[in-house]
Amino acid sequence: MANPGGGAVCNGKLHNHKKQSNGSQSRNCTKNGIVKEAQQNGKPHFCDKLIVESFEEAPLHVMVFTYMGYGIGTLFGYLRDFLRNWGIEKCNAAVERKEQKDFVPLYQDFENFYTRNLYMRIRDNWNRPICSAPGPLFDVMERVSDDYNWTFRFTGRVIKDVINMGSYNFLGLAAKYDESMRTIKDVLEVYGTGVASTRHEMGTLDKHKELEDLVAKFLNVEAAMVFGMGFATNSMNIPALVGKGCLILSDELNHTSLVLGARLSGATIRIFKHNNTQSLEKLLRDAVIYGQPRTRRAWKKILILVEGVYSMEGSIVHLPQIIALKKKYKAYLYIDEAHSIGAVGPTGRGVTEFFGLDPHEVDVLMGTFTKSFGASGGYIAGRKDLVDYLRVHSHSAVYASSMSPPIAEQIIRSLKLIMGLDGTTQGLQRVQQLAKNTRYFRQRLQEMGFIIYGNENASVVPLLLYMPGKVAAFARHMLEKKIGVVVVGFPATPLAEARARFCVSAAHTREMLDTVLEALDEMGDLLQLKYSRHKKSARPELYDETSFELED
Amino acid sequence: MATATEQWVLVEMVQALYEAPAYHLILEGILILWIIRLLFSKTYKLQERSDLTVKEKEELIEEWQPEPLVPPVPKDHPALNYNIVSGPPSHKTVREWKRIIILVTLIKGSSLASLKKYGVGLFNHLTFLTEIDVHLDLEERLAKFMKTEEAIIYSYGFATIASAIPAYSKRGDIVFVDRAACFAIQKGLQASRSDIKLFKHNDMADLERLLKEQEIEDQKNPRKARVTRRFIVVEGLYMNTGTICPLPELVKLKYKYKARIFLEESLSFGVLGEHGRGVTEHYGINIDDIDLISANMENALASIGGFCCGRSFVIDHQRLSGQGYCFSASLPPLLAAAAIEALNIMEENPGIFAVLKEKCGQIHKALQGISGLKVVGESLSPAFHLQLEESTGSREQDVRLLQEIVDQCMNRSIALTQARYLEKEEKCLPPPSIRVVVTVEQTEEELERAASTIKEVAQAVLL
Repeated sequence: MANPGGGAVCNGKLHNHKKQSNGSQSRNCTKNGIVKEAQQNGKPHFCDKLIVESFEEAPLHVMVFTYMGYGIGTLFGYLRDFLRNWGIEKCNAAVERKEQKDFVPLYQDFENFYTRNLYMRIRDNWNRPICSAPGPLFDVMERVSDDYNWTFRFTGRVIKDVINMGSYNFLGLAAKYDESMRTIKDVLEVYGTGVASTRHEMGTLDKHKELEDLVAKFLNVEAAMVFGMGFATNSMNIPALVGKGCLILSDELNHTSLVLGARLSGATIRIFKHNNTQSLEKLLRDAVIYGQPRTRRAWKKILILVEGVYSMEGSIVHLPQIIALKKKYKAYLYIDEAHSIGAVGPTGRGVTEFFGLDPHEVDVLMGTFTKSFGASGGYIAGRKDLVDYLRVHSHSAVYASSMSPPIAEQIIRSLKLIMGLDGTTQGLQRVQQLAKNTRYFRQRLQEMGFIIYGNENASVVPLLLYMPGKVAAFARHMLEKKIGVVVVGFPATPLAEARARFCVSAAHTREMLDTVLEALDEMGDLLQLKYSRHKKSARPELYDETSFELED
Repeated sequence: MATATEQWVLVEMVQALYEAPAYHLILEGILILWIIRLLFSKTYKLQERSDLTVKEKEELIEEWQPEPLVPPVPKDHPALNYNIVSGPPSHKTVREWKRIIILVTLIKGSSLASLKKYGVGLFNHLTFLTEIDVHLDLEERLAKFMKTEEAIIYSYGFATIASAIPAYSKRGDIVFVDRAACFAIQKGLQASRSDIKLFKHNDMADLERLLKEQEIEDQKNPRKARVTRRFIVVEGLYMNTGTICPLPELVKLKYKYKARIFLEESLSFGVLGEHGRGVTEHYGINIDDIDLISANMENALASIGGFCCGRSFVIDHQRLSGQGYCFSASLPPLLAAAAIEALNIMEENPGIFAVLKEKCGQIHKALQGISGLKVVGESLSPAFHLQLEESTGSREQDVRLLQEIVDQCMNRSIALTQARYLEKEEKCLPPPSIRVVVTVEQTEEELERAASTIKEVAQAVLL
């Protein structure tokens, strides 16, 4: 029977030819408002791997209400400011000293308007102190406010065993002390805590050398260098690599540390649309052909700054296309794998492994140890001459102190675990468990009908809430149900796209995830959060069926 | 009737045509033909001449060669052959850079306790569920110790002042900063995009001159002046020169010209003052007169990280707008616990500050009078520099001579280091020098021995 959809029916299963066509490099299939980029990689053996990312738009009424909410909040803000100015209402904020009243005011009134009037109302959802290790379950200190969030006081009680969906504990390495941490204890006893010196002076310990060799081995590159702080790794090394006369092409949604590093370097910065290879290609072509803006001289170097996984969106960088572009236009690529190292890829080696690419194709691999490894600090890895150059010229190596020894030991321990050097397969199991948990969590949320952003393999799951009132209600209700979530609003996200961000961890068991999902289901119904117009069913192979009757 | 008038008009027109002179008709004809030609010819655009064809563009793309990502580095650069230190940086193994108080055993005990409770890392940004009670404790203790209202903790010393300055000073504001300010301050100023005015090191007259000039500018444009903030950024004990800033005069200038003071106390916290509270205690100035005090915990407190303290009005702003605070992971708990323990030690034994002062004085005196080297820095400062009295003319030569001295001292088991700078990045590059640091734990004999060794070596190398 000829099928009007253009596919062939074979053994009762519908094969749709359209899905398997592989002529075009990138195609946007628009169906009912979802834009799915169906793209394929350059390498032939991955041509059946589709990158499925969705960034669904909210229905119109939601956006209207969101802006209305902000508008009402602003009006009330003006009213309260007016009352405070005229002394009718007590002002609880800290004020300038009497002696300095005639100085130029330290803050513009408007800068703080948002903080004073909108953020202050729902401030209790952030900066919640905890008092245990941030594992899959943790303890939150209870605090109340008597004056509408201007000040808090601790009741002294502790909410125990809250399910932690907020910490980047991807591989579940955050835990209280156990016997496997004995090596850290020994290092602490031998070396002490601080280093009190820079790398160039007296601060290079043998622990650092050991760690750097191990990191290089883990990433399969020639050499690596470690730094004491992840944020500072970006902001102090990008200025060492590029300077005036160079061009930086940076993604729209790059992290503040990358933006700060790019600004401090003095190079020209151009921004391309998030994960959009056409936009990047256009910028590259213009840069190479037309050179610097007024003098038309050629650029000295072009550096592309991207992240492995973007934490606010949950999207993964389209690495194969970017590498193809980089080769064609002879640019250099800098990847910030803060959220993807240890979490993405079959053995946790990051986005290069996820796409099956050679890590040598990326010029600068940067990452942090805060997320998957349970410590703090950052690294930069790549070819030996790159790392040697950074050893000599990095701002951090000359002026900032090096990593603390017990922290270095913790990273060594985690790396050995993940690489399997300690003799067990625990590391690999954790990585696989994380991938399973991620897929399960995302799938269930999409089935329930929430709007989720991002790639189906990213363990950071942003769930869109939109309205500021719902943001606060969501966070508070979830804490009552003993689930700790992170909500993010303006200015970290665009004004109308407030979201809750879940971080799935390998240490979460199926029961914990189910508890969370049930609670989310309830919350979704209570707060009307299920905005998605594309409720996915649990049987995707039936999507393209056009008729469910028996055909003969 | 209408058609008749039309016809009549037509006839008149034709008649006019016959009666017109020939040249007139010919001119009109030529004009009409010209107009028709212009209407149908392609427009002549100037840009088209310089637009590149696709082929040319592809050629340009192929021809372009960027510089290599990193220029080659000579293999014998000292930074590539580090002194690798094994063992704790205490006073016995190395006489290293910044450690002032090292009572390592006691600190280890408490950080061990917090290692047991919290594990190591914290996995998320401070705003998101990782502010641990240890951090709150540390902030409270620091605020109480420094006698200010509030304190805020950063997880890296360099990032402390580099994030604090841009949180307050934005484009269009004016910052007066000392020439010898350290690199972290320079980076903070660069990130803030404000107008920077440098004044000569510790020269209050120069600063006053700059402030006066600014006042004159203000009077020209009072509206703009009412919204431009002014800041003075100084260090308590300068890392690059070992001198103390003249704080009382600064406070006078502050009230006279209405500028706010940011004080960077990395070196003077835990060193100056009767109880180690820094340069404000040393001079007996009310701490509320200083708007912001920032220090790193890597020197005196034997930990990693930094803090800012001051009035709540000032400090609270950084919780939402300090980049190194909001966008970065928080300090691992074991390091925070180490800092608390170090604070305990400082509070319980206020005598160590006097001892340190004495030892500084001793080594300072002992190192005077070496021919060829001069001591730069005050006798109160535990970190001071030894510079060449007469430079040989080239910086490289100087650096090599000093390195010779350092190496020979190393051979005799006195560990010293040259002060390292990024030569191309510093605004005002200090001359090459050897940095000497004193700690509380060194005994007098050791100091004597060190001083005499340095004297011998210097004489051998420089003569």
